[in-house]
Amino acid sequence: MGDYYDMDEIMMEEELVSVVFQKAANGVVQIDPSAETNTVEPGSKVELPFWLAQELHMRQAVSINVPSCFDQKTRKEIQADVSCVDLRSRCPYFYELGCKIAPLIGEKTIGALLLYAFKCRYKDILIKGHNASSVALKSASLLTKEESGLYEAARSSMTAFKKWRMGGARYQRATILGKKRKSDECT
Amino acid sequence: MYGRKACQLVKELASCESEQLSAYNADLFDQVTRECSTHHVELQTLIRKIQDEGLDTQATKNPDHFGALIHHLALVRNKRCLMAYMYNRADIVRSLRWKVGPVLPQEILGKLNFSETEYFKNHSAALDSYMSEMELDLTVDFVPPKDPYIQVRVLDDIGDVLLSDKSANLAPHSIHFLKRTDAEPFIAQGLMEELAN
Repeated sequence: MGDYYDMDEIMMEEELVSVVFQKAANGVVQIDPSAETNTVEPGSKVELPFWLAQELHMRQAVSINVPSCFDQKTRKEIQADVSCVDLRSRCPYFYELGCKIAPLIGEKTIGALLLYAFKCRYKDILIKGHNASSVALKSASLLTKEESGLYEAARSSMTAFKKWRMGGARYQRATILGKKRKSDECT
Repeated sequence: MYGRKACQLVKELASCESEQLSAYNADLFDQVTRECSTHHVELQTLIRKIQDEGLDTQATKNPDHFGALIHHLALVRNKRCLMAYMYNRADIVRSLRWKVGPVLPQEILGKLNFSETEYFKNHSAALDSYMSEMELDLTVDFVPPKDPYIQVRVLDDIGDVLLSDKSANLAPHSIHFLKRTDAEPFIAQGLMEELAN
């Protein structure tokens, strides 16, 4: 388990995964929307957030299916042209979820898939980040959370480098105050 | 689904631009704490049911056990979300003292709840007492200085101020040559800007 207060990890664990209950559970509403009583029967297939699925899996109460973002269709797309695959809409925490879920479902190929996808996309992101102007990148909507962080880091380090070379104002209004006075900042 | 609201709370904070603060969402926070109480009640009911049937609460693995487990996990999850929400906000609140100064503008104060405002005051006071003991202002010189004086333009009406080496009338749009340490807090608050030479 990583940092207890890490917001990205918390949001990653909210991703839904499909599970099949092996044991029954009493007194729970909302878990199985199709159930008429507040009992979940063994064998019922439901979508649970990862934090719950993981713990229940460790206690052999559920079995986890391979999430749709690691299915054959996605794999084929990744093999075809990795930098054009829209990973964000599939799962904004594609790599993190993959790393966590691979040992649970015993799917050996996920690790290689993640490594291949990341290695190929990494180079692309870095080149784009270093050469990008301040306008938002069109392909930025395809990137996962981790990748947009990388892109942003590359972009800002390039901006800082240019600023250092050209010189300019070194003291700035605290960023937390927001950008209310846009007209003043431009002068 | 259990824990959905708590995660919304975290998402709300995380979706702000970096180093920005969202308004304290007391309403959602209360909803999550109420959800926690519900989980607690359900958990106790299920545990009591196991005990009433004369079973061992540790070893039993019946449907009641798994129901209780789910409630327990949801409770722990909600707690983690609430803690992360407060912790990450507290981080930003502390950084305000360094970036903005001891007095916060109204737009930021409005986003804090009561205990966060108190936390800011106490943190600020602790830092002040440490700095006066050391006789050193730690909040200036965040950028390594090249020259003790810098040229600045005033953006807002600051009025007559007593600076460390002189008193100056800081009228809007006037340009001054000030000691860097004097100018730095004004720039941080957005009342002045540095003129690049």
